Amino acid sequence: MSSTQPQDKAEPSQQPQQQQQKSSVLEEDDEFEDFPVEDWPQEETEQGATANGTDAHLWEESWDDDDAAEDFSKQLK
Amino acid sequence: MASIFEDFKNGQKLGSGHQLAAALTPVSTSANPGRLQSFYYFSNAAHLSSDLRYSLFQANGIRLPKQEQNSWVDIFAAYWNAVGELVRFEEAPSRASWVKVFNAWKETANQLIRGYSTGGLQAWTVPCLYVVGRYLRHFARQADAELASQESDGFGDGFQDDVASGLEKNAKLEEATRVLNRMFTLCLTDRSPIEESRKWGVYDTTNLLFKTYFKLNTIGLSKNLLRALNAQSADLPDLDAFPKSHTVTFKYYVGVIHFLDENYAEAEQHLAEAWRMCHRSAMKNRELILTYLIPCHLVTTHTLPSKKLLAPFPRLEKLYRPLCNCIKTGDLGGFDAAMSAGEEEFVKRRIYLPLERGRDIALRNLFRKVFIAGGFEEPKDGQPAIRRTRVPVGEFAAAVRIGTHADERSRVDIDEVECLLSNLIYKGLMKGYIARDRGMVVLSKGGAAFPGTGV
Repeated sequence: MSSTQPQDKAEPSQQPQQQQQKSSVLEEDDEFEDFPVEDWPQEETEQGATANGTDAHLWEESWDDDDAAEDFSKQLK
Repeated sequence: MASIFEDFKNGQKLGSGHQLAAALTPVSTSANPGRLQSFYYFSNAAHLSSDLRYSLFQANGIRLPKQEQNSWVDIFAAYWNAVGELVRFEEAPSRASWVKVFNAWKETANQLIRGYSTGGLQAWTVPCLYVVGRYLRHFARQADAELASQESDGFGDGFQDDVASGLEKNAKLEEATRVLNRMFTLCLTDRSPIEESRKWGVYDTTNLLFKTYFKLNTIGLSKNLLRALNAQSADLPDLDAFPKSHTVTFKYYVGVIHFLDENYAEAEQHLAEAWRMCHRSAMKNRELILTYLIPCHLVTTHTLPSKKLLAPFPRLEKLYRPLCNCIKTGDLGGFDAAMSAGEEEFVKRRIYLPLERGRDIALRNLFRKVFIAGGFEEPKDGQPAIRRTRVPVGEFAAAVRIGTHADERSRVDIDEVECLLSNLIYKGLMKGYIARDRGMVVLSKGGAAFPGTGV
């Protein structure tokens, strides 16, 4: 398929040591942090902050109907 | 944070578990830089017990049942030893050692556990368990790091040493899990009436263990905790009766555990709940929740994060946007390139597997475009126009060529295209069948060719 794949894959093996260090640092801040307070009111939650209490608008459909269908259909022939 | 004795006094007088736990927090603050020193130098090993008895109780005018009072004296005596090891880091760094701090702290934790199991400590003081448990993990990690650095100083080379140190590199943290486990059991199995039960501490201690198991890469052990919680669920208050810091953390870890088991629907449920209840300003935690919630959404509902959702999280925008764009446009070549560009990060965060499933969605969108480009049949008198539902396999092959950025001359194998088509049909992303003898794909009519996408 794409010709870039093998090239990209070759890269990591060139500097294994450096990467190991990097990832162990990242691991540290990967942990879920303690909250500075034990409890909080609803208004301070994600849900409380969104107007209608849902976050539906923050997720969108995975397809795109905007792009020029005509262009595409020409390409198909 | 006041002096250790003041925190103890205030905690006892107010009946505030958190104030009391502040007394057992082994740090000096900028407001009180000598906090640990002044506690350590208030007594010496010979007079410790009687000094503690006086300073904790008599001087403060606090009366507790004798047994409970003795427990606190034992706990603070162990605590005093641990503080002594900590003070050494400032006063005699060459003799200071995190392993000694850890050992002394473990003793403090054991005294505390004994205080609860047989020493008459009351349930409202349970935040002391959280603080002592947190620092137990912290000191264990410091001790393991110290042991690792000593080892690498001692035997710098040789592969065999590397192997040996690899096996034991978390020895202290593993030791800590056994103590944390006892804390968990102590909370879970308390049979007192719920108002005065340590059961309120059960999720916080569970979270400490989750974090530790994740760190030790023994995530499977988390399931023992979930089983134990499940078995007691009839006697536990509803989750939303607990403080949100306990439940959000708990939901996050349960979500990730399901996620790693590839139970994406369940994972999504828990993570979405963690997301909804999380504190708005806990950016790091919100980012972590989303890191796993996004692949869940991709797999279960095939939805993608909007720009607005990721705007406060540039790292996630960078991690996910290229993939999302390729999925939307059906750009298979771009998708593969984005997967391999992000591979290291995806593997490290253990999100590679579900993201890979995004390729089916990208392919679905590409084939959906073929269907839409096909336009409509000649409308029969009066009937609303219907889409052309017989599409030559060749058009899908051409789409695959476009999607994979294949050049004009390279052949796209028709068998392969048929295989991709039947896969999508099998997975329910596309409805219809392939009429091989006619080289046609016959798609469902009436807006059901690509279920859930409106056409």
